[in-house]
Amino acid sequence: MLELAIRLAEVHKRYGRREVLTGVTLELARGARLGLIGPAASGKSVICKLAAGLEQPDRGEVSVLGENVVGRRESELGEIRRRIGMLFQNYALFDFLTVEDNVAFPLEQRGDPADAIAARVAERLRSVGLAGSERKLTAELSGGMKKRVGIARATVADAELVIYDEPSAGLDPVTTQKIYDLLAADQARTGASVLAVSSDVVALAQFVDEIAFLYRGKVHYRGKAATILDAEDPVVRQFVRGELEGPLDDLGQGSA
Amino acid sequence: MIGERMIAGFGTTALRITQEVGGIVVLTGQVLRALVPPRIDGRELVKNLHKMGNRSVPIVVLTAFFAGGLMLIQTGPFVKKFGAAGLAGWGAGYAVLREIGPILIALMFSGRVGANNTAELSTMTVTEQLGGLRALAIDPVRFLVVPRVIAMMVMLVALTVIGDLVALLGASIVGRAMLGIDWGTMYYSFADNLKPYDFLHGVYKSIAFGAAIAVSSCYFGVTVRGGAVGVGRAVNAAVVAAAVSIMLLDFFLTYLTG
Repeated sequence: MLELAIRLAEVHKRYGRREVLTGVTLELARGARLGLIGPAASGKSVICKLAAGLEQPDRGEVSVLGENVVGRRESELGEIRRRIGMLFQNYALFDFLTVEDNVAFPLEQRGDPADAIAARVAERLRSVGLAGSERKLTAELSGGMKKRVGIARATVADAELVIYDEPSAGLDPVTTQKIYDLLAADQARTGASVLAVSSDVVALAQFVDEIAFLYRGKVHYRGKAATILDAEDPVVRQFVRGELEGPLDDLGQGSA
Repeated sequence: MIGERMIAGFGTTALRITQEVGGIVVLTGQVLRALVPPRIDGRELVKNLHKMGNRSVPIVVLTAFFAGGLMLIQTGPFVKKFGAAGLAGWGAGYAVLREIGPILIALMFSGRVGANNTAELSTMTVTEQLGGLRALAIDPVRFLVVPRVIAMMVMLVALTVIGDLVALLGASIVGRAMLGIDWGTMYYSFADNLKPYDFLHGVYKSIAFGAAIAVSSCYFGVTVRGGAVGVGRAVNAAVVAAAVSIMLLDFFLTYLTG
């Protein structure tokens, strides 16, 4: 039986009157790379948070790295979260810490030796092109730089599962390509399972093995990343090609 | 129609207040639970002690000095009228140590430190920094809230003690400068009439005020919703809640302990 890093089964999630997820079923095999795309506010970030154990579903099953996370207390989820690296859409960098302290934070909490932390942090910051910015506060950084600090922090501890929520948002095309090359090299080295959400379908398709399309609260389509641009499904086709006319005219924000 | 609206409005307000009081009680429970065993981030605690305490000293000294002086100005005419210069220090000291000092410094502390604390925590909440901590398996209450609560309680007591002393000094200087009461008379007026309990009465009030300011400012910070507008609302709510709590606690503590 295939070992899974993430398993969502019939997951429902509601915020106020709006039901964002209406029965999502999604699986990510260990060591695989899955991309998640979909219209704005379709629930992609919610799935990331469910997979990190940061949100609880209203209904359905969520297992992460073989552990059920539904109904577990915060103190019980700690062990699972320590095995996950996460890049938040809005960076979630700690503004009371410098760039290097942000990146070092997961390792310090894990109790790694100081010299090993310093070497690892320096390597990570070099790899995302932020050598020389170690002492800056995150408030002094541009959006793109913050994103790169977030990526360095998410990958610094070589987690078993890494979740990237919009890793290329705010980055120029060249930096986007560099970042995806870096993420691919990291994944090849660590064998981590990867869930990546992005609006940049072309760049994402080069990084992941498969892409799932989230629409109207469900996984509407899942297929090989290499063929996503040629998908026959009219909704997916319209979305990935950015066409104005088509079945996707409500941008997936309907109540369904 | 208007009556129904009034009842509905009253009910909504009552529900909201109940919800917020309940939330503050739950957060208090979480803080107490996080203290057993006491695993506190030392760096966070020291940083907050410095930020909340040391940087508040100038404003507390200024406020306390004039508050002490004001006590003498208010009582001065009666002291002169009845020739009771020996009681001037007692009157000012009694009011300062038991009431004016703790309340004034707590309100000042709430406006400066409590509001700042709420703004900081609520900004961290809306920018998902608390989510970032949770994603790293760190309990935000243990890591962020507990050091702040301890720092606020410790520092408000320390500032109240400093404020009391400065207020008595202010009273003495004003008494000398404006009413001609000599230093010795003022000193013996304090020493002979004020009891240690008058001082301790203010100190234990400041412990309660510190806890109220700390928990309410943290509560509104970590439960904020709605971006920058939400941050403003949270700060406003925290300052109001702290001021009301200070007055209510002062009333009941004074009533119960005399």
